[in-house]
Amino acid sequence: MEWNAETLQYLSQCFLHTLSPQPEPRRRAESSLSEAADRPNYGLAVLRLVAEPSVDEQIRQAAAVNFKNHLKTRWVPSNDPNAGSTFSPILDPEKDQIKALIVSLMLSSTSRIQSQLSEALAVIGKHDFPKSWPTLLPELISNLQKAAQSSDYASINGILGTANSIFKKFRYQYKTNDLFIDLKYCLDNFAAPLLEIFLKTASLIDSTAAAPGGGSLVTLRPLFESQRLCCRIFFSLNFQELPEFFEDHMREWMGEFRKYLTTNYPSVESSSDGLALVDELRAAVCENISLYMEKNEEEFQGYLNEFASAVWSLLTNVSQSSSRDKLAVTAMKFLTTVSTSVHHTLFAAEGVLQQICQSIVIPNVRLRDEDEELFEMNYIEFIRRDMEGSDLDTRRRIACELLKGIATNYKKQVIDIVSVQIQNLLSSFATNPSANWKDKDCAIYLVVSLATKKAGGTSVSTDLVDVQSFFLSVIVPELQSQDVNGFPMLKAGSLKFFTTFRGLIQKPVAFQLFPDLVRFLGAESNVVHSYAASCIEKLLLVKDEGGKARYTSADITPFVPALMNNLFNALKFPESEENQYIMKCILRVLAVADISSEIAGPCIVGLTSILNEVCKNPKNPIFNHYLFESVAILVRRACERDGSLITAFEARLFPSLQTILATDVTEFLPYAFQLLAQLVELNKPPISPSYMQIFVLLLSPDSWRRSSNVPALVRLLQAFLQKAPHEVNQEGRLTQVLGIFNMLVSSGSTDEQGFYVLNTVIENLEYGVISPYMGNIWNVLFMRLQNNRTVKFQKSLVIFMSLFLVKHGAQNLVDTMNAVQANIFLVILEQFWIPNLKLITGVIELKLTAVASTRLICESPVLLDAAAARVWGKMLDSIVTLLSRPEQDRVEEEPEMPDIAENVGYTATFVKLYNAGKKEDDPLTDVKDPKQFLVASLAKLSAVTPGRYPQMINENLEPANQTALLQLCTAYNCQIV
Amino acid sequence: MADDSLASHRRDPIKSSVGNVAAQRRRQNAATVGKERRESLVRAKRLCRVGATGEGDVLVEENHMMTDEEGFLLEDQTSSAVKELKSAVVYQGKGAMQKRVNALRELRRLLSKSEFPPVEAALKAGAIPLLVQCLSFGSPDEQLLEAAWCLTNIAAGKPEETKALLPALPLLIAHLGEKSSLPVAEQCAWALGNVAGEGEELRKVLLSQGALPPLARMVLPNKGSTVRTAAWALSNLIKGPDPKAATELIKVDGVLDAILRHLRKSDEELATEVAWVVVYLSALSNFATGVLVKSDALQPLVERLATSNSLQLLIPVLRSLGNLVAGDSHTTSTVLIPGHEITDGVIKVLVKCLKSDHRVLKKEASWVLSNIAAGSIEHKQLIYSSEAVPLLLRLLSTAPFDIRKEVAYVLGNLCVAPATGEGKPDLIKENLVSLVQRGCLSGFIDLVRSADIEAARLGLQFTELVLRGMPNGDGPKLVEQEDGIDAMERYQFHENEDLRNMANGLVDKYFGEDYGVNE
Repeated sequence: MEWNAETLQYLSQCFLHTLSPQPEPRRRAESSLSEAADRPNYGLAVLRLVAEPSVDEQIRQAAAVNFKNHLKTRWVPSNDPNAGSTFSPILDPEKDQIKALIVSLMLSSTSRIQSQLSEALAVIGKHDFPKSWPTLLPELISNLQKAAQSSDYASINGILGTANSIFKKFRYQYKTNDLFIDLKYCLDNFAAPLLEIFLKTASLIDSTAAAPGGGSLVTLRPLFESQRLCCRIFFSLNFQELPEFFEDHMREWMGEFRKYLTTNYPSVESSSDGLALVDELRAAVCENISLYMEKNEEEFQGYLNEFASAVWSLLTNVSQSSSRDKLAVTAMKFLTTVSTSVHHTLFAAEGVLQQICQSIVIPNVRLRDEDEELFEMNYIEFIRRDMEGSDLDTRRRIACELLKGIATNYKKQVIDIVSVQIQNLLSSFATNPSANWKDKDCAIYLVVSLATKKAGGTSVSTDLVDVQSFFLSVIVPELQSQDVNGFPMLKAGSLKFFTTFRGLIQKPVAFQLFPDLVRFLGAESNVVHSYAASCIEKLLLVKDEGGKARYTSADITPFVPALMNNLFNALKFPESEENQYIMKCILRVLAVADISSEIAGPCIVGLTSILNEVCKNPKNPIFNHYLFESVAILVRRACERDGSLITAFEARLFPSLQTILATDVTEFLPYAFQLLAQLVELNKPPISPSYMQIFVLLLSPDSWRRSSNVPALVRLLQAFLQKAPHEVNQEGRLTQVLGIFNMLVSSGSTDEQGFYVLNTVIENLEYGVISPYMGNIWNVLFMRLQNNRTVKFQKSLVIFMSLFLVKHGAQNLVDTMNAVQANIFLVILEQFWIPNLKLITGVIELKLTAVASTRLICESPVLLDAAAARVWGKMLDSIVTLLSRPEQDRVEEEPEMPDIAENVGYTATFVKLYNAGKKEDDPLTDVKDPKQFLVASLAKLSAVTPGRYPQMINENLEPANQTALLQLCTAYNCQIV
Repeated sequence: MADDSLASHRRDPIKSSVGNVAAQRRRQNAATVGKERRESLVRAKRLCRVGATGEGDVLVEENHMMTDEEGFLLEDQTSSAVKELKSAVVYQGKGAMQKRVNALRELRRLLSKSEFPPVEAALKAGAIPLLVQCLSFGSPDEQLLEAAWCLTNIAAGKPEETKALLPALPLLIAHLGEKSSLPVAEQCAWALGNVAGEGEELRKVLLSQGALPPLARMVLPNKGSTVRTAAWALSNLIKGPDPKAATELIKVDGVLDAILRHLRKSDEELATEVAWVVVYLSALSNFATGVLVKSDALQPLVERLATSNSLQLLIPVLRSLGNLVAGDSHTTSTVLIPGHEITDGVIKVLVKCLKSDHRVLKKEASWVLSNIAAGSIEHKQLIYSSEAVPLLLRLLSTAPFDIRKEVAYVLGNLCVAPATGEGKPDLIKENLVSLVQRGCLSGFIDLVRSADIEAARLGLQFTELVLRGMPNGDGPKLVEQEDGIDAMERYQFHENEDLRNMANGLVDKYFGEDYGVNE
């Protein structure tokens, strides 16, 4: 793409149209752009457009965003084989030009464009910096120094922002020599200029703040922002280890750090906006000193006392205020680090713990307006934080972490103090429950958060209170409250307590509350009915010693109708239409309860109507997954009790499944195929004609194009082959099935699936039916063997040949193969069967291949021929290896080759439905022990021609295998004579 | 970089199993960003205030803080002393030599008078060309000595001041030769040592000008301050990061013997300097490491560690020992054979260091043990049954972070069997069970919570061992008692993919809710 007035005009038009509210021109523009993006120098042209002052600002902004995204997908090394074929990468000459332009462009642009270009630059940096972009850092530094001279903070912050993003990799990568070479390069060049600008800005802040009036927010904002960026860069550069330069200049850095923690800037902090600004800097400082405290405590200890007291008094203020979250969290993290370090004695002094608890922990644990707002406005996020551990950065959680930290060295003191605090909070609640309900919430939160988690989330323990009596006196009254909608946060807290300590609550106590839990499913608060559902669901998973479920179907069956009714009703509350907690509870109840037809009826009605609803627009994959699992388990368990129910289920489910297939609801296709497979398997032949329509669909190659469908389709095909072998052999369907096999087996990523299809055919159809096709099948397999022989493929081939042999006999195997090419059987045997046999894994597969190989050497004339003695011996050697050595000694883990599959845009993924699963079938039920089968067969064979086989064994088996074979003979009392 | 330099880290890539904890670790990275620590007891540059041979004629004023006035006075005096020297150098008349020596001596006195010599004033006044001239061949010893002394103290200054010596280097090196008198050679070595201590760039210059062989020959005699000074200068010269100099040094005839002899017999001061030479030899050059190991260098190192209480000596000796163990697998496999006297000796001195109050000794000793613990089963059992284990367990719960991390490597290594080439290494159940029973798990879980990613990985790897290896499926219970689930859950969204997968994988595998659990 050449840069000229025409290009400028064209691109400008396109970008303008991408902003159009009308879909038509917008889509057209988008597709023109994505077409143009494949041409060389497109990125460069867009960048030039961004830089063109004559072009309208909004067009340039759109172009800047496009430029960034363009780089994200195409700035890959041009020689990277994994780059994929989707996007043509930007070529090196264009890259060089972009790199030469971007820094100065970024610095001269307006802030919105600047932030886009800065991100684009970070994308380039990720690949190229520093080795393939040696000019970047010097360019940034010289610009930084220029900008510093003129105190141009727009540029300074642009440069620091860029440096911050390119240095971030030092924060999470492992120490390697390469990383350290990069880090050293950055330190050598950037450490000194960083300190320089940091100190300069610091003195600017000092003088501005000291002036009458203390400086305006407008003046100070860029300065504080600049200091924050310096602190973040400090964090990155110091993360791996303490660099020499920073150690030598620790005093300068720490002096300023302390200043920001201890100084107030009234002219700025009087507005909430300004307070947030300074707090962000303070939070960044806290992260830095936490890092030093944790990793460089020896060098840092001289500063520790002053920082500890600075952070403490800062926190005492911050804790009273309801915003300032980030600062509160980072400051508490610093104290936590100190409390677990060798300097924990700072906390040992009289009264310190008491004060920390009272003035820091309790205020931070108390519910704040923001929590209440979240509880009401965004229940999903609230639950994620409150219940599912995404609260790593909430004040409540971190305050508890601080207590846990202190408890590592002062456990008893912490327990004593917190127990008293909890009692105080509870008595405050008791004096005036409706005014002081948050005190009770605080007490409950403390007990739950300070408990230690246990396996499976099924139980926890705590030393803080006696769980049983706390439950009875504090929690049960809430759960028994008749008004399910009163004080919802307190109800939620109580349900969470019940869920958390469910293992410790005795069965009779918990059981008595079961109707109350069912009642709370009707609470209007989304959090409350979700927690009630979650509590029931988790209770049903509680195991007693010995692994037996504590709550059985007999326990819950009386409640099930009401429970199911309330669960389905709860899904009608606004915003709970796709509530995954409720759906998971439905699944769990269906897994435990007795599924009588009285229950199955309404359930299948309820589930299918939900299914029809979500088909219109699948949104929540977790909810949808539980929904399909619920259907699957309902069908399975109900039919186990009463096989006749299948017709009713089919009647209900077919319309839904047909909708999915007909309207091609991509996300649901794998589920639909799995459910269909389940239904087919539950059918008694002859299979109903409505399935045959689906069979037709199944055989269309189109269905197989999407890789996410393949495992489910294979499963469905297997079901059909087993249940309707005759139908398969009609109307040329078998040819179609084998066509699918051919397609799957030709590609390395689906060949295993192809073998599943083939194996099912071989296993379920008569030899007479398949024999006309065998020549073709072998041709396909040999072709693949020639083109791309992976170990995985060779193993699958050995399994297939074995299956063929045990089903249709050795002679048929040998004959059909040799019909393709004379004597090819022995070639395949020597080159593939024998060497791969010892790599077979899996109990069924091992037995199958061992038995088949045994039969081959004991029955097949080809191998019993004197000319084949050597091959016979090698085969036996391989069988003995397979049977006598543990898996890890014979199989080397092969590195999985990444599949370079075509990834066309978004694809649904295959998720297995646990409850629609298929049991593994053993094709060889008559042989129990392959070892015994081997030695017994050998004994029988050798008895015919005594003396012949011991010699062959002697000549061809490894000594270790000879010994092993002998041991097997002894073990099974057989003799090879 | 020469090809024998980069075998430095033998850490294998680590997957979800802890197996590869048993990889040897070596300190030296090709790129270092941290401050070089000779534990600040020995400075890279040294001022010469009392004559090297003890013939100082300056009244050294200890701990005397100079006032500003005195400082200015000193600078004035220095400028005039340089002027005086200039006129003495051009003067060709009678007594010229004495005049030159006197002027040099005056300048040297001024440069030796305080801890902060007036180097800047001397350089400004143009001292270097004059001093170079005074070093010319054939000059009397006294003149050479005084000139070299002046240069020594100039070189002890700031980086730029040290660099000013560049024109003097060829002559300083030339005077190291056998023809020079010992005091002159020693003073020149001192000056060169300061130059080498400045940095990589000047070291390269010195090496290209051939400073190494004559300095190396100076350490061959049995004793004397010359040997000490030369050893110190050599230790600066071979610091790298290019390992070539270290390899070259060990190849110089007689050097290996001299090093071993000094380690065995010399006084502690000389042994200290020589030990620093060994530190750099073994840190940088695999060749030198191999030679040292084959020549039984371990023996004298162990003896020193056993008998000395001088921290200055113990630090370089311990570090040398560590480098020899980590740098050459031969050390563990064929020298430190369990049952041999030397092996017991090593363990004993390491235990002594673990007991010491000094942080560096504890840390280095743990590091050495971690590498021995990466050896054979017998090595592991030897450490396991030694006095070290109770000490290590205590350190794991009480020591500062950096020591805890090293200790964790030892304990982790004690619990995994050596990799046998095929398959994953197994764990050593008895050791694991007993160490866990003695309470080490909480220390490892603490590491999981650490911000340091290597430490976190180690913590996770040990946690995996416990989950997998404790009998009766007790692992999960123990881990949860130490609040390990919570610690691992922190990695749910961590930016380091490896840690994230490892932690999430463990939580899923051992603590995941059984899906469809009622089947």
